Amino acid sequence: MEQVKINRRTFLVTATAFAGGMSLSLAAPAARAASISGEPWLSNAGGVEFSPWIAIAPDDTVIIRVATPEIGNGTVTQTPMNVTEELACDWSKVRVEFASPRRDYLENQVYSKAGWMPFFAGHATDSDRMKIALQIGASARERLKAAAAHQWNVQVADIEARNSVLTHVPTGRKLRYGEVAAKAATIQLKAEPTLKPQSEWTFLGKASPAKLNLPEIVRGSAVYGLDVRLPGMVYAALLQSPVQGGRLKSHDPGAVLKMPGVRAVVVVDPSKTKGIPASDKANYKLYYGLAETAVQSAVAVIADHYWQAKKALDALPVVWEPGPGADWKSSEQIYDAAMAVLDKPATKVLHTAGDVNAVTDPPTLDLRYLTPYCDSAPLEPLNGTAVVTPDKVEVWHPAQDPQQAWWVAVDETGLAPDKVYFHQTYVGGAFGRRVLANDVRMVVAVAKEYPGVPVHVIWSREEMTRQGRYRTLIATRFQAHLDGQGMPQVWKAQACLTGPIMVAASFADSPYVVGGAIPNVQIGTSDLPMHILTGAYRGPWYNSFVFMVETFIDECALTAKADPLAYRLKLLANWDPAWSKCLQVAADKAGWGKPLPRGQGQGIAVAAWPTAGLRQTGTIICAVATVEVSPDGVLKVKSIDVAFDCGRVANRDAVAAQLEGGAIHSLNMSLNEEITVRNGAVVEGNFDQYPMLRMGDIPPRITIHFDALSDHDRFGIVGEAPIGPIGPAVGNAIFQATGKRMRTTPFRKHDLTWT
Amino acid sequence: MSAITLRVNGKPIALDVDPSTPLLWVLRDHLGMTGTKYGCGIAECGACTVHVNGEAVRSCQLPIEYVAGAEVVTIEGLSENGDHVLQKLWVEMNVPQCGYCQTGILMATAAMLAHVKKPTDKDIDTYITNICRCGTYPRVRAAIHRATDTPGT
Ligand code: FES
Ligand code: FES
Repeated sequence: MEQVKINRRTFLVTATAFAGGMSLSLAAPAARAASISGEPWLSNAGGVEFSPWIAIAPDDTVIIRVATPEIGNGTVTQTPMNVTEELACDWSKVRVEFASPRRDYLENQVYSKAGWMPFFAGHATDSDRMKIALQIGASARERLKAAAAHQWNVQVADIEARNSVLTHVPTGRKLRYGEVAAKAATIQLKAEPTLKPQSEWTFLGKASPAKLNLPEIVRGSAVYGLDVRLPGMVYAALLQSPVQGGRLKSHDPGAVLKMPGVRAVVVVDPSKTKGIPASDKANYKLYYGLAETAVQSAVAVIADHYWQAKKALDALPVVWEPGPGADWKSSEQIYDAAMAVLDKPATKVLHTAGDVNAVTDPPTLDLRYLTPYCDSAPLEPLNGTAVVTPDKVEVWHPAQDPQQAWWVAVDETGLAPDKVYFHQTYVGGAFGRRVLANDVRMVVAVAKEYPGVPVHVIWSREEMTRQGRYRTLIATRFQAHLDGQGMPQVWKAQACLTGPIMVAASFADSPYVVGGAIPNVQIGTSDLPMHILTGAYRGPWYNSFVFMVETFIDECALTAKADPLAYRLKLLANWDPAWSKCLQVAADKAGWGKPLPRGQGQGIAVAAWPTAGLRQTGTIICAVATVEVSPDGVLKVKSIDVAFDCGRVANRDAVAAQLEGGAIHSLNMSLNEEITVRNGAVVEGNFDQYPMLRMGDIPPRITIHFDALSDHDRFGIVGEAPIGPIGPAVGNAIFQATGKRMRTTPFRKHDLTWT
Repeated sequence: MSAITLRVNGKPIALDVDPSTPLLWVLRDHLGMTGTKYGCGIAECGACTVHVNGEAVRSCQLPIEYVAGAEVVTIEGLSENGDHVLQKLWVEMNVPQCGYCQTGILMATAAMLAHVKKPTDKDIDTYITNICRCGTYPRVRAAIHRATDTPGT
C-alpha cells in the first residue's frame, strides 16, 4: 500500500469515460449535513470518478452512488455513512445519488460484481454490503493519500486523512481532498487497504444522523414514482382481468373515446412480451422469468389527466374470460381444500431427524393452523412512467430492485439493453410488493401501445389490492408426542403451500428442530396450486411460519402445564444462547409472570430472520405482548416489549425505527389482514375492506430493548425480523386472557368474548 | 366548462376543468404540486390532506367545484422553506420511513394545532387518523408532544 504507481491506462479510461467530470462544478453549495436531491436519479453532480461508486469534486463534494433503493429503511443514509467511516471525509460534503443498473450491465457489472445483489432492497444494509461500502471508502482514502504523497514527495505513511483534509504529519502541510482528487483518481493501489477494526470507528455506531432524504420528504419535494412529471406526459388508468390468469374477451372503446381528455384505449396482451435479445441473455438471470412477473391481460385508458382516464375506464364496457380460477367460489372453499391436502401425507420432505414412527401412540397434539393471503399494501399505489420509441425506452420507476426492474423493461420491449434507460425514484413503501417488477413490465407494456409519449400508468388502490402478488396462503398440520416431562419427543409437521416458496424460514430450520431438542422430526410440504399470484411480503414465509410454530410451542407448553417462557428456555438450552437471552430480556422488561387481572394476559414468541437454523446470524428477536380483552370481546394490546440480537448496531435510532415499524406491521398483519376470494376474484379493494391500524389503535407502549445485543460483529439486518414474533405473542396473550386459541389470522375475525 | 377560481398557497388560480375532478388531482396533475399524495382515493388514508380555509380536508374526495373561492394550503405552502416547527422536528426525530404518508400527516397535525394548542394523546388519536403503513405512529406522537411541549404516555 505504501508504494503506488500511476497507471496511465487507468488514467485514460477514467478521463474518457467521464470526460468533463473534472471541470464540472457543483450546482449546490454543500449544506451542513450530507444531502440527496428530491430527484436522486439525476446525475449531474460532476466530480472525478474514483470508481462507479464514488466521485470527488474539486470543492471536496463526495458523490456516493447507492445501488439499493430507498424504501424507507434508510439505505441512502446508511450506505454513505459506511463509506464515510473509512473515507474520513466531512459528512456534510457527501451527496448521494442512485447507481444505474444500465451502467452496471454495460460496464461488465461494475456494481453487481461487488457482492450479493446490490440493487435488491431487501437486506439493504447487511454486513456484506457494509464491508463493500467500507472498502470503497478505504480505497478512495488511500488513493487520496497516495496522490498527496506524490505531490509532496513524501511517504504515504506520514499522511493522515481526516475530515476531508490530508495532513503531512511531520510538517503540518495540508491539502483538501478536492485538491488532489483528479490525481488520486488516476492512481491504482497495488493492494486493497485493510479495513480498520471496528474499535477504531469514529462515526458508525456513534452517530445517529437524521436520514438524508427527510428534508425532501417533509417539504413534499421527494419525487416518488407517482410524482414523476415529464413534458407531454399522459396518464393511464389500468384494469386487469379481475380473475388472475383470465383474458380480455371484448370491450367497447367507442363508448369512452369521446369523453373529455381521452386519447386512447389500449389492450395489454401477454403474448406481446418480446423477450431479452438472445445474445444478451446470459449476463443477467434474476427472477424475471417467473409467472408472477409476467404481464396480465389488461385494458388501459390513456388521457390528458388521470381523473379523465379513471372516469373513462370506469365507464368502459369490458367483458372478461375469467378462466379456471373462477371455479374457486369462496375463500372457505380454498381453506377447506388446503386442509384436505393436509389429510394426506406430505409430497415433499424438507427435513427429518430420528424416527417419527418411533412412538406408536396417537399424538398428544394434532393441530392445524392457517394464514391467509395478504397484500403488502405499501401506501404509494403501484405506478410507473415510460416512454417507448422504436430505438429507445426510458423508464422512471419506484422499484424495489432496480436491476430486476431494468432487466424486465428490456425483456418487455425486446430492445438491446443499451437502449433501455432506467431512473430510480423514491419508493412509497414496498415490503416485497415491488420486487418482482411485474409492475414495471405492465408500465412498459402499456407505454408500448402508445409510443413516443411519456405514459404515466397508475393502479388505483382497488386495482392494486385486487391484483397483488400476495403473501402465500399456508395451512399447516402439526402432530406432536409429548414425553413424561411434557417435552416433545416427536414432531410431524406438514405445510400446504398455495404458491412457490424459496425457503421454509423458521419452519424447516427452526432451532427447536435443528438444535436437536426434539429428537424425532419430519417436516414436509404439499402443494395446492392456485391461480392467485403470490410474491414477497415482509419476511416472506417467515411471517406465517413463526405464527404457526410459536403458537404451537405455546400449546405444547400449556399441555405440559409448563410456563411458556420456561418451556422455550428448556427447548433452546443447547442452542445459540442469544435466543435465551432475548427471551429473558423481553420477559424481564415486560414483567413476565406477574399475576394479572381476569381478561388480561401475556404472551411470548421468539424467532430469527433471515435464518433461524444457524447460530449467530441475522436478527434473533423475542416479543412479549400484554393484552386486555373485555368480556364482550374487544381486544386492546396494552404493550409490546421487544428484545433482539443483531450482533451490533451501526445506527441505533434507525434500528429502533425499523423494529417499531415492523412490530406495528406484524400487529396489523395478525389482527387485520386477509385477502379473500369470490368466484376467483379478490374481494377487498381498499382500506375500508382491508383495514389498517391507526394512531389510536397502536399499543400505548412499544419498547425496543437493546439489552440483549451480544456484541457479535455481524450487524444483522433488522427490518423484517419483527414481522414474525409479534403476532403469535399477541395470540398467545389472547389465550391467557380468554382461553381462546388463535390458530388462524386475522384475529379480528375471531369471537373473543368470554365470561 | 367555465373557469373555477381559488387560491392555492396564497396565489390566485383559475382553472378550466371538469368540476367533478377531485382537488387532489387538480393539485397534482393540473398544478404539478405533487407533495399532496394519492393513497386510496376514498378518504381513508389521509395522504391527500390539505387545508381548505384552515381546516384539514382529504382532497381526494373533494370535487374542485366545491372549493371555488376557497383558500387552499398544501404541503408546499406549509412554510416558506420547509422550516415549519413540525417539519424541523420530523427531521430531527427521524419520524418518516418511506415518507409517503408524511406530508398528509404533517398537514393534519398543523391543522390540529390551530384548534388544540396543547393536544393530549386522546386529541392526537382523534385528529390524526391517517394511515402509515410503515408504522411511524409512535414517532409522530412523540414529535407532536415535543412540538407542543405536552407530556406523552
Ligand atoms: S388519498 Fe385521500 S384519503 Fe387516501
Ligand atoms: S412513512 Fe411510509 S407510509 Fe408512513
